[in-house]
Amino acid sequence: MSVVCNLVDERQLIEAAQQDPGRFAELYEKNFHRVYAFVARRVRNREEAEDVTAEVFHEALRNLGRFQWRGAPFAAWLLRIAANTLADRWQRAAKNGCAARTIEDADRAVFVEAGIERHAILSQLVDRLPPDQRLVIVRRFVDEKSVREISAELGRSEGAIKQLQFRALENLRSQVRSDEHE
Amino acid sequence: MNSFEELDRVIDRILAGSETPAAASLELVELAALASELRHLPRTDFKARLRMELEWQISGRSVTASPEWKKDVVQAHAADAAALFGKTAGLYPVRPVNLVASLALHTALLLFMGVGLVIVKSTQRVTPLTASGVTRLDPYISPASLRESRGGGSGGPADKIHASQGPAPRFAREQLAPPVVLPEVRPILQVESTIVGPPDLNLPQISQVGDPLSRLLVPSAGTGVHGGIGENEGGGDGIGHGPGRGPGSGGGCCNGIYSVGDGVSSPRVIYKPEPDYSDEARKIRLQGVVVVSAVVAPDGRPTRLRIARSLGMGLDEKALEAVNRWRFEPARKAGQPVAVQISIEVDFHIFY
Repeated sequence: MSVVCNLVDERQLIEAAQQDPGRFAELYEKNFHRVYAFVARRVRNREEAEDVTAEVFHEALRNLGRFQWRGAPFAAWLLRIAANTLADRWQRAAKNGCAARTIEDADRAVFVEAGIERHAILSQLVDRLPPDQRLVIVRRFVDEKSVREISAELGRSEGAIKQLQFRALENLRSQVRSDEHE
Repeated sequence: MNSFEELDRVIDRILAGSETPAAASLELVELAALASELRHLPRTDFKARLRMELEWQISGRSVTASPEWKKDVVQAHAADAAALFGKTAGLYPVRPVNLVASLALHTALLLFMGVGLVIVKSTQRVTPLTASGVTRLDPYISPASLRESRGGGSGGPADKIHASQGPAPRFAREQLAPPVVLPEVRPILQVESTIVGPPDLNLPQISQVGDPLSRLLVPSAGTGVHGGIGENEGGGDGIGHGPGRGPGSGGGCCNGIYSVGDGVSSPRVIYKPEPDYSDEARKIRLQGVVVVSAVVAPDGRPTRLRIARSLGMGLDEKALEAVNRWRFEPARKAGQPVAVQISIEVDFHIFY
């Protein structure tokens, strides 16, 4: 029932965004982590993931008027754009002599992967961590700093940083579990 | 090794790109799997930055969305100076409209700073003619009488040079002999030379008569004809015609110009354009008052403009230009418009 309600809400939101592009921000907030997770798993580095994600949303905004509701979630349309964008990139790279990559047909027809949903949830949960745990996670996994560098930056012992890192991951694990059970 | 240490060792290997290492406990395996997923977290500001770009796109502005877009922008603006007008860090694109607006604004600002900061304001005050404190540089005009009096005179023996300096002869009701500067022949019957005018008008007298306004010291009666002193004809003294003194014609003095007071009203300014500041005076920030002597004619136009007090640096000329364009409601005597002599103070001030 809730899935049906969500789809109805999403359909109304899409129609509202087609009338008033200013409403696209709501669709963006709902789907950003999904698209990013989908792209990040398929590219080599964070910069490329950000480039492709940005391209996907700009493309979606440009073509929002042509979107036709067929009962599938809006995220599926976005992921299809992402898959096509990645395929185009890899084709261009292959023409330029770079290492060619192929994208599976299954990826082109992708709707919502469980892994993507889990990753999207994880990204949002990081934002809800206590500030000191969140900072350690961001420094460690986004900025890729060592525990020693983080301890020097925050003025805390390396042991304290490792403990914060451990607690943060434990927090995330328990919240992911509870989200999955819901 | 405690759990914190072991997890950190595992994370180090994950971040180094190694396969997820074997962990001692199931708990650590789960945490290591989470850590592996966290490698794909976006940068903290990326989401907000992308949202801002999308909002720009929605509002019709260009954004740096994709490499293709960036390429297009670079090509579109290839003619521009890339170093100066290029995009900054790929986040905030240069918009030509903004660039032009910024240039226009800065240009206007510079002009304002260069010129507009010096705000020139001048005030004018019309006062009745007073001699006190005013250095008269204008041609001499005898004080006007309360009654209208016409007159003026000139003459001369057609000398090669203009009349020399000297006081005008005494006024008399009849002119028996026009004034001469250098009598060549001593007449048998000496008659005092006079000019025609009210005998009660007294002018300072010395032995050698001449034109009071002349600067020439070499004795000369001027280039006029028919006797007298001056450049015209008529046996008088001055720049007019006839046997009188001063401008005008016929006998008498001063061409019918009144002074304000005693039944003669003051003229009133009805149109007074502001004088400009001269560039030279503005550069040295010269300020002060230029006094312009003028005769306001019965038609309200200022005539016979002369500088009575000078400031120099081009301000005198600016004052004359401005006052010449003024218009007055003329002075009146018994309800009739009459010409009056006035002084006009033109105030030049610079306000910062």
